[in-house]
Amino acid sequence: MGDRNLISPENKTPRLIGIGVVLSAIILLYLMQLFSMQIINNVRFTQDATQISQKSVSITAKRGEIFDRFHEVPLVQNVDSFQVNFNPAEASASEIPRILSRLSVLLRIPFSLLDQKVPERLYTSFQSIELRHGIDYATVSQIAEHRDDFQGVTWESNPIRNYVNIGTLAHVIGYVGSINQEELQVLYNQGYGMRSLIGKSGIEKNFDLVLRGKDGTRFRTVDVNGRNVSSNSTDKIIPESGKDLVLTIDRRIQILAEKALGPRNGSVVVLRPATGEVLAMVSYPYFDPNKFYTEEASQEFTRLQTDPTFPLINRSIQSAYPPGSTFKIIMTTAILGDKVIDPARTVVCTGSIEVGDRVFKCNKLTGHGVVNLAKGLAQSCNIYFYKAGLENLGIERIDDYSKKFGLGQLSGIDVPGEISGLVPTPKWKEKNLNYPWLGGDTVNISIGQGYLQVTPMQMANTVAMISNMGRVYRPHLVKSVFDPLTKKVEETQPEIIYENPLTPEVWTAVQNNMRGVITEGTAAVVITTKAVKVAGKTGTAEDGGKGSSNHSWFVAYAPWDDPNPENRIVLAVQVEKTNEWEWWAPKAADMIFQGIFGNQTYEEAVQTLKPWYINWQ
Amino acid sequence: MSNLTTRSTIPIDSTLILAVLALIGIGILFIYSSGVNSTGVLISNEYLRQLLWAFLALGVLLVFSYFNYNLLRDFSLWIYLACLLLLALTLVFGKVVNGARAWLGIFGLGGQPSEFAKIATILYLARFLESRRNKIGDWKVFLQAFLLVAVPMALIIRQPDTGTTLVFIPVFLLMLFMAGGKVRHLFFVALTGVFSIVMALIPYVETIIYHETDGIGSLLTNWTTMGIVSSFMVVILCIAWYGWIRFKKSVFYWIVFFVSILILALALSSGLRLVLKEYQIMRFIVFLDPSIDPRDSGWNLIQSITAIGSGGFSGKGWLAGTQSHLRFLPMQSTDFIFSVVGEEWGFLGGTVIFGLFLTILLRMLFIMQKIRDRYGVIVLAGFLGVLFTHVFVNIGMTVGIMPVTGIPLYFLSYGGSSLLAGCIMMGISMNVHHRRFMF
Repeated sequence: MGDRNLISPENKTPRLIGIGVVLSAIILLYLMQLFSMQIINNVRFTQDATQISQKSVSITAKRGEIFDRFHEVPLVQNVDSFQVNFNPAEASASEIPRILSRLSVLLRIPFSLLDQKVPERLYTSFQSIELRHGIDYATVSQIAEHRDDFQGVTWESNPIRNYVNIGTLAHVIGYVGSINQEELQVLYNQGYGMRSLIGKSGIEKNFDLVLRGKDGTRFRTVDVNGRNVSSNSTDKIIPESGKDLVLTIDRRIQILAEKALGPRNGSVVVLRPATGEVLAMVSYPYFDPNKFYTEEASQEFTRLQTDPTFPLINRSIQSAYPPGSTFKIIMTTAILGDKVIDPARTVVCTGSIEVGDRVFKCNKLTGHGVVNLAKGLAQSCNIYFYKAGLENLGIERIDDYSKKFGLGQLSGIDVPGEISGLVPTPKWKEKNLNYPWLGGDTVNISIGQGYLQVTPMQMANTVAMISNMGRVYRPHLVKSVFDPLTKKVEETQPEIIYENPLTPEVWTAVQNNMRGVITEGTAAVVITTKAVKVAGKTGTAEDGGKGSSNHSWFVAYAPWDDPNPENRIVLAVQVEKTNEWEWWAPKAADMIFQGIFGNQTYEEAVQTLKPWYINWQ
Repeated sequence: MSNLTTRSTIPIDSTLILAVLALIGIGILFIYSSGVNSTGVLISNEYLRQLLWAFLALGVLLVFSYFNYNLLRDFSLWIYLACLLLLALTLVFGKVVNGARAWLGIFGLGGQPSEFAKIATILYLARFLESRRNKIGDWKVFLQAFLLVAVPMALIIRQPDTGTTLVFIPVFLLMLFMAGGKVRHLFFVALTGVFSIVMALIPYVETIIYHETDGIGSLLTNWTTMGIVSSFMVVILCIAWYGWIRFKKSVFYWIVFFVSILILALALSSGLRLVLKEYQIMRFIVFLDPSIDPRDSGWNLIQSITAIGSGGFSGKGWLAGTQSHLRFLPMQSTDFIFSVVGEEWGFLGGTVIFGLFLTILLRMLFIMQKIRDRYGVIVLAGFLGVLFTHVFVNIGMTVGIMPVTGIPLYFLSYGGSSLLAGCIMMGISMNVHHRRFMF
């Protein structure tokens, strides 16, 4: 036994004792752990155990429905929809492929996809796997009738939103979707959970708290699949249904405006200036939110997001353009309001003017001849307004009036995502472009060009101020909130957002000048409706880029001479220059006014007007 | 010849057999219990099958306790090679059960070759170590021995069955220990293993649990930093090596010892990070903090701890556990059988199980002390290692001291292969004890 490392009967004993001591020590350690778990912390674990099996299951509250102003047929309602789940451990492993192939037929999913969702390694998993959502009641009842053939298959009801022929109201109404991490972090305290649905845009987003109601809870003892095991505990907190919303939207006007705009990128806003109620808000192109609740949702979403025409954008509040000649109504108000020029004073338009070293042209290259303020607006003479802006008003006054009309500001409309546009000031230019304000800039803004950017909604508010003689009410889309349980109605109160206390004479003069645009001005050939007297202003705005086509604008109100402001309606139409239809905005406006005041559908209005630009036979 | 007359005619060791029978009996009781669902209906006949396996296994135990175990030693190379072949076949033709291609069989008959590979490896490694008994402290022998273990390990980790693979390490260390190996060699292996695993996991622990991206972990995964650090260490290693050869001072030896552990661990941990699958990493992560993933990877752990903890002193009573019968506990008849025992029989039941296993382990130590056959001692050391590792890892996992690794609890868990393997080991142990006078 020369080598001490060799095990011999004499020296193996210490090693064996060593092993024995280590073994016993570990066993002792384990016993202590067991003691601490089962004796010392027993109460806590017992509580945990009951908590795990005492499940509180959330009962989703019914989401409120959305109606148009007549509160008859819902625009948005809820339809039954089920999510089908599969718990592999509840079925015998050999049966699973057969169950899946039966489900593949019923749920209309390829078997290969199901096989991917339930791979063989998960056959003993106790975790429920979502197979498909958006399953209708009939399919689920088929599964329920043959429960034995579908071991381990469970379902849960997830009512989905159904948008009933809302067409271009998609932007206004929006859609709902599963809550995401960022939203949850912000809204956790307001009763949202991991599985909450939440409005993602439009009314659905802004009024989510009103629409969603309050989820209820059911307490019960369940097994791992959430299946009831004791029937005695039926305690529950009943959910509170969400409230219905009645929109200010008039569905007939919406459809009329939608058809009048047709398949042209642009937008239409129809306002009731006396209250700020939005009667129609059209934006083209639009999307179908119902597709977001199908299996193809993500493809559809990607398609919409990458579409170069931006169908997800609500152009009436989320897109800003140079207002072009429609801005001349603000110029006219400024000239009359601050009395900087005698409205009768004339200017001779030769077709162009030189400012510094730049030549600015009139829209009529041969010149308008002798022009006063009324004719200047009616004929949309650029030279008149160039001079007025540069020599009489000055940029400060132009900016001041623009802001009084609400340009460059958010109106606070009750749907999210509104943008403010831009009213450029000398300060702004120096700060952002690092270049001083030039006379040419003032010339440009005088005819609504240059850096000036406005949304169609802002132009509608501008006309509303003229129609209301100095007041603008907050534009809004929700007329009232209706509680289906108590039948209580909560009306939205009109709220003044801009005020410009000029004398009624000034406003009347501006109104008359705008009427002149229709009777003897640029819109005379287009606004042909006999149903109502329109006062408005056309606009064609250049927006950078090349090509001959321009943005087409038409802003107006009617009836022009009705003394009761309640009867008036404001209209702003904007058609983007990418369209081949020049000049479409006033054409669309003509048909819309005919439809509203002639109480006609689009088709009837077309029949009445018989416009040359539409094949109306 | 006087030895032959004093020896009892029955090879059965009453202490071992009683403990084994008690464990198998309790196992069948709780396999039955875990087959009962929340409405009190028996939904599984696993307990009946386990009963059949138990009879078969006890028969096998008798066979293995009876014939001269030297036969096993003589054929150990062939048994070892046959098991390697089976393992290789399993990789190709095996059936996937619970995510691992570990089951091999024909006509519905079969089992997990890895269970028997453990025994075969022990039988052959013991023979190898015994035959090299004079050179056991030699590095070459050490490496050759490790290679013998590494081959089946490599085949089993491909299944992939991490748990069973890792069992080989303590078995190897324990056998070498009882074969007279140098303690510092054993420490070398153990420390390298521990360091590799810890270093491999640090980056994941930091990013997943502490949401840190610029801690030590990021240094470990940064190839540039690691390149600099390891070349620095290689330089130290070379200097110390030279110092040791030149001056023969033990301080240089220990520098070489620890620096090479670090270098090896660095290399191995980088390798491990490449090999480890996400779910394996998550098992370690949820072991440290089950709340990271309570519905998925952390589920088993949370459910098991809750079941055992709620058992209390004497348990909720047989068939009266809530967590198991409401089926919150996964794999309750196999890997998590101890959780059912803990919930239904409480601390008392747990103590009984510990007592029975401790009895078996100490009895095996006692046999090792009594016998004089070196081969027998080394084989028993291996068996002891297997049993001991399975008990500690399996129960440790159910009480939250060990990460979740799916290895069964011998004699209790449902499953024919582990029951057979357990009984074979017991049979051979009795056999070795019985023939102690022949040497």
